[in-house]
Amino acid sequence: MDEAASVHHEFPILGRAYFLGGRASTSMKRALREANVDESTIRRVSVSCYEAEMNVVLHARSGYVVVDIYSDRVEIRVADQGPGIEDIELAMTPGWSSAPEEARALGFGAGMGLPNIKGQADEMGIESTQGEGVRLHLVFMREGVSDE
Amino acid sequence: MNEGSSIHVDGVAQRLDLAVCAGADGLSGAVSGALCSDLLSFVMANGRAGNLWLTIQTHPNIVAVAELARLSAIVVVSGFTPDEDTLMRADEESIPVLTSPESAFTVAGRLYGLGVR
Repeated sequence: MDEAASVHHEFPILGRAYFLGGRASTSMKRALREANVDESTIRRVSVSCYEAEMNVVLHARSGYVVVDIYSDRVEIRVADQGPGIEDIELAMTPGWSSAPEEARALGFGAGMGLPNIKGQADEMGIESTQGEGVRLHLVFMREGVSDE
Repeated sequence: MNEGSSIHVDGVAQRLDLAVCAGADGLSGAVSGALCSDLLSFVMANGRAGNLWLTIQTHPNIVAVAELARLSAIVVVSGFTPDEDTLMRADEESIPVLTSPESAFTVAGRLYGLGVR
């Protein structure tokens, strides 16, 4: 996996800006479409990217999402500056959430974000440093592309 | 409605007396089914392309969710009023935002009666 990506994009994410949330994911979706990625893969990446973006918006001060499109896969990296995740295993539990009440009233923070991402991505890596932030790495194999 | 025939957003709006508030460019989209939820993550996980989404959420993020999940339209029910920013974003993304004074329960029942599955 050391070949150069054919397309590389970075999009910033602003923490606490609930209503701007989704902008980075929408831009990313456009980039995937321009790169002729198939619709099924675009959907999986979009759903995951949105969930990751909203996690940054809900919990962190700021962050960014990076997409690299290869011939056989799409890789997403999301990193933020924020409090980090205290217990990653707990955060992966469907329904568990530490989102503020104001966010839940708006339909965010249902505790489905990370489980949703896990269900969509072919590979998922997550690292957190308390008081610094979270780094998420996702790999989506493109459909209709052989491994060779 | 016969199996295989298709129903479109504008047809649904007309027959259920839904007001079209924004995203008129998307009114010709086909409706493949519907879902009803106020949790955005639930919609992301369970919404299918072409689904109509019934909700009482009114903020602009619902447009992002609809666009990313490839939904056909958003129906804001129970007389809730979509935010101005929501309407602007819906126009940008061509996602129809419709409103109804009726509850999600009633709108869903009427949709089912129209043959939406």
